[in-house]
Amino acid sequence: MIEVENIFKYFERKSILHDISFSLKEGEILGLLGPNGAGKTTLMRIINRIITQDKGHVLFDGNLFKEKHLEEIGYLPEERGLYQTMTVEKHMLYLARLRGLSNIDAKYQINHWLDKFDIQAWRTKRIEELSKGMAQKVQFICTVLHNPKILILDEPFSGFDPINIELIRKELLSLKEKGHSIIISTHNMNSVEEICDRVVLINKGEKLLEGNVQDLREQNKEDLYKISFQGNMLGFTNALWTGFEIVEKEAHGDDKYSVYLKMRNDNELNNLLATVIDHVKISDVETVLPSMEKVFVNTIQAQKTTSNE
Amino acid sequence: MNKIVLIAKREIAERFGNRFYRWLMVLGPLLVLGLVYLFLSRAESDKKHWNVLIMDKSNVFDTKLAITKPDNLSFSFINTFLDYEEFAYDDLYQKYDLAISINEKIVSNKHVIISYREYPPESIQRQLVYLVERRLEEIMVEEFTDLSVEKFREIKQSLTFNLKDTYDPKNELSTTASWVGFVFGSLIILFVFMFGMTILRSVAREKSNRIVEVLLSTVKPRELLAGKVLGVGFSAIFQFVVWTGIIALGLFLFRLTIFPDIFTGSFVADTFMETENGQEIINQNIFVDLVYRQIHYANMLVFFVLFFIGGYLFYGSFFAMIGASMGSESDGQQFVIPITLLIFGSILSGYYAIYNPGTLLNEWLSFIPFTSPMNMMIQLANGFSEGTAWKLFVALGVLFISALIMLFMAGRIYKNGLLRFNHRLRFRMLLNWTKK
Repeated sequence: MIEVENIFKYFERKSILHDISFSLKEGEILGLLGPNGAGKTTLMRIINRIITQDKGHVLFDGNLFKEKHLEEIGYLPEERGLYQTMTVEKHMLYLARLRGLSNIDAKYQINHWLDKFDIQAWRTKRIEELSKGMAQKVQFICTVLHNPKILILDEPFSGFDPINIELIRKELLSLKEKGHSIIISTHNMNSVEEICDRVVLINKGEKLLEGNVQDLREQNKEDLYKISFQGNMLGFTNALWTGFEIVEKEAHGDDKYSVYLKMRNDNELNNLLATVIDHVKISDVETVLPSMEKVFVNTIQAQKTTSNE
Repeated sequence: MNKIVLIAKREIAERFGNRFYRWLMVLGPLLVLGLVYLFLSRAESDKKHWNVLIMDKSNVFDTKLAITKPDNLSFSFINTFLDYEEFAYDDLYQKYDLAISINEKIVSNKHVIISYREYPPESIQRQLVYLVERRLEEIMVEEFTDLSVEKFREIKQSLTFNLKDTYDPKNELSTTASWVGFVFGSLIILFVFMFGMTILRSVAREKSNRIVEVLLSTVKPRELLAGKVLGVGFSAIFQFVVWTGIIALGLFLFRLTIFPDIFTGSFVADTFMETENGQEIINQNIFVDLVYRQIHYANMLVFFVLFFIGGYLFYGSFFAMIGASMGSESDGQQFVIPITLLIFGSILSGYYAIYNPGTLLNEWLSFIPFTSPMNMMIQLANGFSEGTAWKLFVALGVLFISALIMLFMAGRIYKNGLLRFNHRLRFRMLLNWTKK
């Protein structure tokens, strides 16, 4: 749906984005990750034609991205605002009309979304009367009101309580099911693991990683295993001797434990099982994949080390 | 275009929803009418008939004061002296508004006391002083000289020096008409400043509450600027039309009800005192003449609207530039000061134009877009001599071309500055933003 090709951007001779390329497919949620100041917001503004790139281009369905395509996009910036003195309904109507909806369609959509989020009572409230969380919901609705094919959301979960995070998460998954494509920029790595199909990681304006979430975790795995058992912890530890390294222990009561460990001396999972099976009752064994947070931190640190060398 | 209309409509709705705007729409013209009423009331009090009691104990004036009695004054003489309390409370004297006490040594001490119940207007005071002085003059000439009063006055008469404009010897281009233009020019400047500040605040608010990024993902910065300028401009013109309507209706009602004889007798026409030496002007009510006769409303209003639109677009683009480029509200306020000074300069240039109409500097000020709305309104009020009306259209053309250039530059600054926050605004930064 969207292809970003070799984007460069400079501000006052300083490179902000350097040769960034990636694509967003139909019905896909793409996580745009990176630490603060990595260039994510600049990239999103370029896709939305708010600012122009110095080199490279953006394609929409294979054609150069033009102004008319903006109506197919719903953009929720990180620092979003609302007109404080307007009512919820008038605000939604104004933004929906600016995004190309007719008056009738806009009113129909407003009704639909107010029903869906169960906030019909807010319709005539002025924005200044709403709490921060309520205003965030209104902003989200304003973004999706015109039923855009593509959603670009900068920190969509910030400011929400856990219940509303779940509400927005479900809504995004539902939009994905309906074939909408979504780019999410977030620091919330749990949500990345839960809803993103693929991620692009950028730092200091350069792309460091791109790929499927599961694949990236697999690629970054550290030969770590989690074994759950019932029995004596001392006996378990003694049995391991020097062939394995315990990284972390979790006690669950009633002599039930989970232990994270790494292999030593070319040992494999079979060796581990053979070593401990006579000492404890094993209930579960699994390979531990690194969290996306771990992948994120490791990749950024690796880049730092490389650039220091 | 559709988006520009939507943005303009929102701006208009916001202005109409604003309590201050609605109050100003009604209170502004009422305030103007109030001032007009005050001036007219003053004229009305000039018209009042004053009964004057002259306390001449020694009969110095011989019960005479003026050969021709003025319409608005009547005199009664008594040869006693009343103290203040007597005059104030005695029923006998309640019909008198003023009492003039002529003491017996007036010829030497030159001292006269006028007691009043209601403070007399300047014109009445001048009339009384004039009459008493002349009567005393007659008495002194009779007593101390062998000259006739006429001869004495002929000798005493001071030289009159007349300053005449060689290009306008009949003084057709009076400053009264210029002041009419000045009032119109000031209205333009007032509205431009008021609604220019509205643009600035509107842009600054959108920046500070961050709605601007949401808007820019849908509309171009220039569309946003155009919609805002159009919306605020429409609100300004609407405000002006309502002001004009209420003021016109008020003036019409004043003439119909409160001041029906506004053009009669001493109200407008000059009041003359017949003396042995001819006529002397005692009182003139320029104001009534100015409001009801001097202003050629149709002509002035057409050009007022044109110069207002030009001036609004020209100055409005400056305000939009500042609003879009400011890092914080206090930061931007510093850049409002130079514009306020320019606007103040424009008013000063109007003042200069009234008293120095023919100078080269004034010619230039008529074409410079910063001052042309004010200067041209003054020239328009005076009328253009044959073959010079082109100046009006050239000034209008220069103003509109300058406004378009400024709007183009404002568009660039708008585009570059809207998404910059918390920076310190520098003039060089503004210049750089106009280049790309």
